[in-house]
Amino acid sequence: MSGLNPKDDYPLGSRRPELIKTPTGKQLADITMEAVLTGEVQAEDLRIMPETLRLQAEIADAMHRPQLADNFRRSAEMTALSDTRVLEIYNALRPRASTEEELLAIATELEESHDSPLCAELVRDAARVYSRRGVLAN
Amino acid sequence: MSMAHVAGEAGQGARTSKRSQILEDRPVNLDGFVEEWPEVGLVAMDSDNDPAPSVRVEDGVIVEMDGRQHADFDFIDQFIADRAINPSVTERAMALSAVEIAHMLIDPKISRDEVIAISQGLTPAKLLEVAKTMNVVEMMMALQKMRARRTPSNQGHTCSARDNPVQVVAEAAEAALRGFSELETTLGIARYAPLVAIAQQVGAQTGRGGVLTQCALEEATELDLGMRGITTYAETISVYGTEAVFVDGDDTPWSKAFLASAYASRGIKMRFTSGTGSEVLMGGAEGKSMLYLEIRCILIAKGAGVQGLQNGSISCIGVPGAVPAGIRAVVAENLIASTVDLECASGNDQSFSHSDMRRTARFLPQFLSGTDLICSGYSATPNYDDMFAGSNLDAEDFDDWNVLQRDMQVDGGLRHVPEAEILAVRGKAARALQGVFSYLDLPPITDHEIEEVIYAHGSKDLPFRDVLEDLKGAQSILDRGITGLDLVKALEATGFRDVAENLLAVLRQRVAGDLLQTSAILDADFNILAAVNDANDYAGPGTGYRPTGARWEEMKRLRHVMSAADPEQEAV
Repeated sequence: MSGLNPKDDYPLGSRRPELIKTPTGKQLADITMEAVLTGEVQAEDLRIMPETLRLQAEIADAMHRPQLADNFRRSAEMTALSDTRVLEIYNALRPRASTEEELLAIATELEESHDSPLCAELVRDAARVYSRRGVLAN
Repeated sequence: MSMAHVAGEAGQGARTSKRSQILEDRPVNLDGFVEEWPEVGLVAMDSDNDPAPSVRVEDGVIVEMDGRQHADFDFIDQFIADRAINPSVTERAMALSAVEIAHMLIDPKISRDEVIAISQGLTPAKLLEVAKTMNVVEMMMALQKMRARRTPSNQGHTCSARDNPVQVVAEAAEAALRGFSELETTLGIARYAPLVAIAQQVGAQTGRGGVLTQCALEEATELDLGMRGITTYAETISVYGTEAVFVDGDDTPWSKAFLASAYASRGIKMRFTSGTGSEVLMGGAEGKSMLYLEIRCILIAKGAGVQGLQNGSISCIGVPGAVPAGIRAVVAENLIASTVDLECASGNDQSFSHSDMRRTARFLPQFLSGTDLICSGYSATPNYDDMFAGSNLDAEDFDDWNVLQRDMQVDGGLRHVPEAEILAVRGKAARALQGVFSYLDLPPITDHEIEEVIYAHGSKDLPFRDVLEDLKGAQSILDRGITGLDLVKALEATGFRDVAENLLAVLRQRVAGDLLQTSAILDADFNILAAVNDANDYAGPGTGYRPTGARWEEMKRLRHVMSAADPEQEAV
């Protein structure tokens, strides 16, 4: 925990820019028009890093918004997933889209291949509840 | 006595009142009104079928809620009990009477934080009970305090009945200039989305850099556009108040919670959407009141950890609007969302009444109290172009809105803009899009289209585009993986450097994630205003947000105001 305090540190972009990096290690101040035109900055640079999401989670916690903070911590894990995989898992969580085994396999994949225990827990929780409520596939 | 006898003209037909005929012909009598029918959920907030509040905690887990044991929880009960309600606070909070809690809500000396310390422990039935003790004036007083962001704002719709991107770019520019901090569009033809979303984005950044844009589509498609940086927030991620209706909508609280985190993982702001009446409309209200079911939706949003909620019946407004106390219930749902510390984009976004008086009464509570986004959204085009089937307000109401702001000294988020400025920004936006389309090898925008859109009121005033070619172009945007950064380059290359800089500044925000916090918007100087650094501090008269200074001066300007210096002239 970096001990962030919303009064002094939010918005991170203006108050604590040194804490923020792009996926290629650039600072916010490096994302300039010139850098875009030379190709130095690419679309992948306009993505948020898991570390930044965890800092925003600290801000949310400090604002007494624990569920928002948990959302950010799940999203920090999800930065590691490709856009395609994110959409696939979302679709798999829809009613009657997956069997219990399929959901549990996704949870295992999240935990073991993507270091995403919080997302895995969400999926396992869904599998349990869907089973009890009859919204699994077949 | 029969009526004919009373009228004294038996056999010739009764005489009718001239006044009755005039009243009969009033627009309000074209609206739809129904008697309450509790069995199907056609009741606003007063149903014997709604559960009594209760809660029981065992080992830090809620095992009974609102009369149901955990073995009988449906998936909504489960989600709320496990995630939305604070188990270490709930028993103490639930022990307070509904009246005591309502007093806390309206007493300006009790802070928003103190209220939230209690509201985080309340069940749906308890929140309903609190709302039932309050009349609309009390709700408005509470809403003034419980709104998350100190500064109120407004959201607009910028659509075209023909999905015409040239129209949308001009409308988005004008709407941004008029003051909306968020814009939303949707399509008649879903496949047009890439072009229309691009147009809205370019228009917004031309009108006022920092305006956020969304394109309402099916969930996965909307996420895709956001991931590309063609849109910058999402809202129509819908949740429903009964399990059957949620499943009918092809989602669950878990799929929606996952989707919410997906957006955050890409640095994209988002909120859920819900509203009274949706479960009735979808034939699955389980005999509960509209407000009870909506409160379940609000707590689903809370449990999922989204920062905010669009509610206030939204597209279903005709349903609460048809029953007694329906509009009171709509105020209540905005209040309850704010009370559980969510951003509230508070409806006023769907036409439901033929009566100008009635549609004004409908938005006054949110307007006068102030909400995070008073309308979600106000149609910035004529209603025939609003592809959300018409909003409660449209472009023809702009001057009325600005007058009401001035009359009441209430900040509704908008301002009067002189025609010359509007024409200039519409033209600039259309030329910017012409440049972008040319750079990206999309079907061209002609100078004639630009000239017409500058002076147009709606799509009827515009030349037709070749829709099939546009749709091919839209598909090519997806196939080529065009992103917001490509739009930045296109704008810069075609001579619209300032617009390009604005768009880059908005895209850069997703790296920092500050826009993910509760109620975050960008002001004209790209400063973040959120319920973190611009938290609502209302504590009674003389406190909280009040329009003063430059903003009040801006609100004083209308289309025609007589000059004090020279009564023969209008003020400039």
